[in-house]
Amino acid sequence: MFRFAPYVFKGLWRHRARTMLTVSGAAVAIFVFCFVVSIQEGLDRLTSNEDAQRTLIVFQENRFCPTSSRLPEDYARQIEDIPGVKDVMPVQVWTNNCRASLDIIVFNGSPPEKLRNARDLTLVSGDWGEFESQRDSAIVGRKVAARRGISQGESFSIGDITVQVAGVFSSPIPSEENLIHTNLEFLQYRRGADAAGVVTQHEVHLTADADPDVVATAIDEKLKSGPVATTTRRKGAFQASTLSDLLDLIEFAHWLGYACVGLVLSLVATTTLMSVQDRIKEHAVLQTLGVRPARIFRLVIAESGLLCLFGGLMGTSLALAILGWGSLAVGAEGVTIAFRPSLQLALMGTIVSASVGLLAGLVPATQAARTQIVNALSQP
Amino acid sequence: MALVEIRNLSKQFSKGDEVIRPLREVDLDIHEGDFVSLMGPSGTGKSTLLNLISGIDKPDQGTVTVDDVEVTSLSRSQLADWRAANLGYIFQTHNLIPVLTTYENVELPILLLPLAKRERQQRVELALEAVGLSDRADHYPRQLSGGQEQRVGIARAIVAHPKVVVADEPTGSLDNKTSEQVQVLLQRLNQELNITMIMVTHDSEAAQIATRQLQLDEGKIRELSSDERATAQQVST
Ligand SMILES: Nc1ncnc2c1ncn2[C@@H]1O[C@H](COP(=O)(O)OP(=O)(O)O)[C@@H](O)[C@H]1O
Ligand SMILES: [Mg+2]
Repeated sequence: MFRFAPYVFKGLWRHRARTMLTVSGAAVAIFVFCFVVSIQEGLDRLTSNEDAQRTLIVFQENRFCPTSSRLPEDYARQIEDIPGVKDVMPVQVWTNNCRASLDIIVFNGSPPEKLRNARDLTLVSGDWGEFESQRDSAIVGRKVAARRGISQGESFSIGDITVQVAGVFSSPIPSEENLIHTNLEFLQYRRGADAAGVVTQHEVHLTADADPDVVATAIDEKLKSGPVATTTRRKGAFQASTLSDLLDLIEFAHWLGYACVGLVLSLVATTTLMSVQDRIKEHAVLQTLGVRPARIFRLVIAESGLLCLFGGLMGTSLALAILGWGSLAVGAEGVTIAFRPSLQLALMGTIVSASVGLLAGLVPATQAARTQIVNALSQP
Repeated sequence: MALVEIRNLSKQFSKGDEVIRPLREVDLDIHEGDFVSLMGPSGTGKSTLLNLISGIDKPDQGTVTVDDVEVTSLSRSQLADWRAANLGYIFQTHNLIPVLTTYENVELPILLLPLAKRERQQRVELALEAVGLSDRADHYPRQLSGGQEQRVGIARAIVAHPKVVVADEPTGSLDNKTSEQVQVLLQRLNQELNITMIMVTHDSEAAQIATRQLQLDEGKIRELSSDERATAQQVST
C-alpha cells in the first residue's frame, strides 16, 4: 500500500489550492467541534468527580442566584449534628455577573482553615500564612490569574471589592481554578451590615460511610422549621441545576458540533469526488497497468482520509492550544465550567476526523473502482 | 503451441437500433517472438481486438488464451493481477501519470509485483536505457517532448518483462520523424529482447517493421502473404 504513497501525496500536492482550501475548511470545522466537545467535557467533570458526588451544598429553597440565597451562618452548627456529617463550611459567594458569561469572576468567602481542609488546593505562589492572617487577602485560581493577569503581591479590584493577592493556587478540579477564595468575614462585611451572620450556602463534607442523599434529606428536614427553608443537593447536581440555562445552550452547541462534522464530511467528499471525476481516465490507465479495482478504492480512500486528517489535526491542535493558553471559562450564577486541553480531546479530534475522512471517500472510491476501463480510456 | 490463441472470438456493440459487429468468430495464433501488425480502416475493430487480448474488455463469445491462461474467463481483479505480470500496454496517447516523474511512471507497474526496491530500480534503469531516456528519469511528463513521452510509455510497458506487449497506434499522434524513431525502437525491442508484440496501425509503412501483417476487415482477420507484403512495400515507398 505504501508503495503508492508518492502517487497519493503528489496528487494532493498537484492541486494544492484545492487541497489547502479543503484542509483549512476541515480544520475550522474540527476546531469548532473540539470546542464543543471541550465544553461537554468541562460539564462532565463538574458533575462527575468525587468531590461533586460526595459533597453537599445547602442553598436557600427556591433561590438560584448567589445574591438571593441568604442562610444564617449558624446553620452550620445545626448541620454538624446530623449523623454522617464530618464538617460544614459556610460559604459566601459573590460574582460580578449572575448571567451567563465568558469572563465570570467568582469570589468564595469561607474560613481559611476550613477551606484548607476541605479543598485540595496547591499554592503555585504565595503562602497560606498570609492568607489566613490578613482579612482582606485572597488566593486566586490559576485560570483567573492567567485570564486577568493577576499575580501574588498585587491588589485586585472588581466592583466595590478590593483584595490583596496572597497567592495563586492550582487544583485537580479544573473549575476550582476559576475561583477566588477570600475570608468569609471580609466578604460579608463588603456586602453591608445586614450581611453579617448570613452566608450564601453551606458546603457539607460527609463521613466515608454516609449516604449523600439520606444526609441531604435529613438536613432539609431539620432546617425546615428554621427561619429560612433550604434545598440540599449533591454539589454536582447543584452545579448542574445552577447551570441549567447554560445546559440548554450546551445541548444546542452539541448540534453545532455534529453539524461541523457533517460539514467536513460533505466538504471532503465533494473535493474527493471532483478529484476522482478529473481522473476517470487516469484510473482506467492504472487498471490497464494492472492495478486492482480494490486498490484504486483504497487509494481514493487514502486521499480523502489524508485531507480530513490534515485538517482535523490542524483544527484539533489549534483548539488544544487555545484551550491551554486562553484560560477560558464559561459560567453562570457563580458556577463555572472550565475548558482544559485533554488527551481525550486530542484523541477525539483525531479519531473523528480520520473516520470522517474514510466515510467521505466511500462514494468517490466506489465510483473510481467501478470505472469501465474501455469507455474511460476513450475519453479525451 | 501458440503463445496467444484466439478462438471463435466475437464482439458486438449496439448503438440504438444498429448493431455493430467488429469481430466475427475470429481465430488467430500468435507465437512467441512474433511482431504482428494489425491494419485496417478506422472503426473496423482493431482496438477492440487488443482490448480483448488485454482483458480490459469482455467478448460476447469465444476465448483468448495467453500462455495457457484463459484470459477471457478471469475476474476483474484476477485480470488486473494477470496484466501486471504478463501484459504491457502502449497507448496511442502515452497516458503517463502527470504527477509522477519518468522514473516513477516506469516503476508504477512493477510496484504491483513482489520485487525488492533494488530489483525494481535495476529494472527501471534497464527499461529507461532501452528507450534511451536514462537522463530524463527525474523529468515530469510535461517537461518531455511527444516522442519522449511515448518512449516513457514504451519503457513502462516492457519494465515488468511481460509475455505480450500490445500497442494501439503507438505512432498515431507523432510526427513522421519521431514516429520513425519509435518504430525502430519497437523493432529493436522485438529483435533484441525477443518481446512478442502486437501493434495496431493504419499506417502501412509502420506495418512494414512487423514480421507478420494482419488485416482486419468486415469482422474477419486475414494475414498478408509475402507477395502482398512486397506490393504493399512498393506502394508505400
Ligand atoms: N463502447 C462502445 N459502444 C458502442 N460502439 C463501440 C464501442 N466501442 C467501439 N465501438 C464501435 O466498434 C467499432 C470498432 O471500434 P474500434 O475497435 O475502436 O475500431 P478501430 O480501433 O479499428 O478504429 C467502431 O465502429 C466503434 O464505433
Ligand atoms: Mg482504435
